[in-house]
Amino acid sequence: MTATITLWSKHMKKFLANPMEMFGLAIQPILWVVLYGVGMKSMMSPAMPGTGNTYITFMVPGIVALSALGGAVGGGSVWLTERLRGIVKEYLVAPIPRLSVLMGNALSTMTKSLFQAVVILVVGVLMGARLAPNPLGWLGGMALVAAFGLGFSGIALGMASSTDNPGVYHSMIMLLNLPLLFLSNALYPLESLPTWMRIGASINPTSYVIDGIRQMMLQDGAAMTGGKVLPLWLCFGVVAAFAALGMAMAYKAFRRSVK
Amino acid sequence: MNKQTNSDLAIEARALVKRYSAEVLAVDRVDLCIQANTIYALLGPNGAGKTTTISMLTTLLKPTSGSARVAGFDVVQQAARVRQRIGVTFQEMVLDDELTGRDVLDYHGRLYGQSRAERQTRAAELLALVELQDAADRQARTYSGGMKRRLELARALMTTPQVLFLDEPTLGLDPQTRTRIWEYIRNLKEQSGLTVLMTTHYMDEAEALADRAGIIDLGHLVIEGTPGELIAQMGADTIRIVGRGERDTFVAQIRALPFAQTVTTGEDVIQIGVDSGSRRLVEVASLATTSNFVIEDVSMTKPSLGDVFLKYTGHQLRDTASPVSPNGASIWIRK
Repeated sequence: MTATITLWSKHMKKFLANPMEMFGLAIQPILWVVLYGVGMKSMMSPAMPGTGNTYITFMVPGIVALSALGGAVGGGSVWLTERLRGIVKEYLVAPIPRLSVLMGNALSTMTKSLFQAVVILVVGVLMGARLAPNPLGWLGGMALVAAFGLGFSGIALGMASSTDNPGVYHSMIMLLNLPLLFLSNALYPLESLPTWMRIGASINPTSYVIDGIRQMMLQDGAAMTGGKVLPLWLCFGVVAAFAALGMAMAYKAFRRSVK
Repeated sequence: MNKQTNSDLAIEARALVKRYSAEVLAVDRVDLCIQANTIYALLGPNGAGKTTTISMLTTLLKPTSGSARVAGFDVVQQAARVRQRIGVTFQEMVLDDELTGRDVLDYHGRLYGQSRAERQTRAAELLALVELQDAADRQARTYSGGMKRRLELARALMTTPQVLFLDEPTLGLDPQTRTRIWEYIRNLKEQSGLTVLMTTHYMDEAEALADRAGIIDLGHLVIEGTPGELIAQMGADTIRIVGRGERDTFVAQIRALPFAQTVTTGEDVIQIGVDSGSRRLVEVASLATTSNFVIEDVSMTKPSLGDVFLKYTGHQLRDTASPVSPNGASIWIRK
């Protein structure tokens, strides 16, 4: 446990000491909100049907999920760098459990995801998104983001354990990025999609995070989708299962890479 | 921490074997007995098995067979206890260089469960020892190669280990830095009762530092002893001859000479260990004419560890990668 916290704190220190990394990770989702959000908002009628919300409020949860993904990617590349530069060996000759190396990485990766999510929420609010006045809902939404971040950390760490090439790592991750965003309810309500896309979106864990966040964190969240929302227990269940799956994947790849 | 366990052997390896695959046998039945509070140098060409041996002794790699005890504990069965008692520097630079020098030491101490007060005192001491006080609060990436190496040494010492493993500690450093690092190592051994196992390519390093040295080649430990013993068995003087012509005949004739204690042939050098160089030089040279060998250059030296190395490995001391084992770094980064 101490070792896990030590590694987490070391990664956080490096993260905070390097504003370029933070900025680099946050810039893409910020551009989504600012450019895409504003563009779409001005094309659509000023308010979402049945609410006083603009499109920005609708899309913010999707971009929060996307930014959590960005945080996970960053965490995975930290692990890849540590492996490639041999820093892992320092951990392996230390009297610490092997698993704490993975846990420390997963924890710092998840923290970065949460951090990104908060940045996007703030940007979203500045751009006119309306939050629900319920701090419990915010906590619930953040819990979803944390679990989603953990699941994605797992995938990112797993990929970072199975390649020695940073280029390959980034392109593998990028490959996931777009379908996860577009094949979900991030930018449009599930109801308005053709069946094949709706099926795709409903096996995409991102949809569950987004639906949960929308309901719990945003003003009139359910009304924006015409009241057709997924039950919250399902959102939490799917995201928790996704987190477990991601970590299992990371654990397997991690065992292989450090023996 | 420095108290010795029942045995006075700090490192004891028995028939240690590491086989990476059917073709690659990196370490082949190596026996090592290293007394506590001594410096032992493991010499050998690249790919000889030095790093693999160290990796097994530092619990990074599991031996294929054989056993080893470090600081009194078995490297496989009691790996955690071994880890608590050793300090390691790796052949390649392993540093989180976005951290400051002080932070590198601090996080290392935390991993080993040292208290904050302990870490602060120890880091300050060590930064002073390796003369990095002025750079302590700068990011390590601004350090020169020598400073990074010294920081790594300080990190290995952070937890006051009983046994220190240094894999090529002065590789690529300038002569001044090398001499400094030698001084640190020597003083540490004398003052804190440390045992050091180091690998090196540099024979002068082994001569300057080691109480005992072993030469490893193709996974075998071919000879060991004090540097003095190793050198002494080469004969009192060495005559080196470079030339062209009927080399084989010439060498055969030299071997037949009663006073030629050792005869070694390198790629272009013939080395003859004799009792007295000045007396025997003429006799050796006169053989050249009778065997159609033209001497181009002849020199006479006191033998060095380098000559011992040449005798036992047949390699000159240059970077000739042996195909026998993969290099140490890639072992860790497997697909």
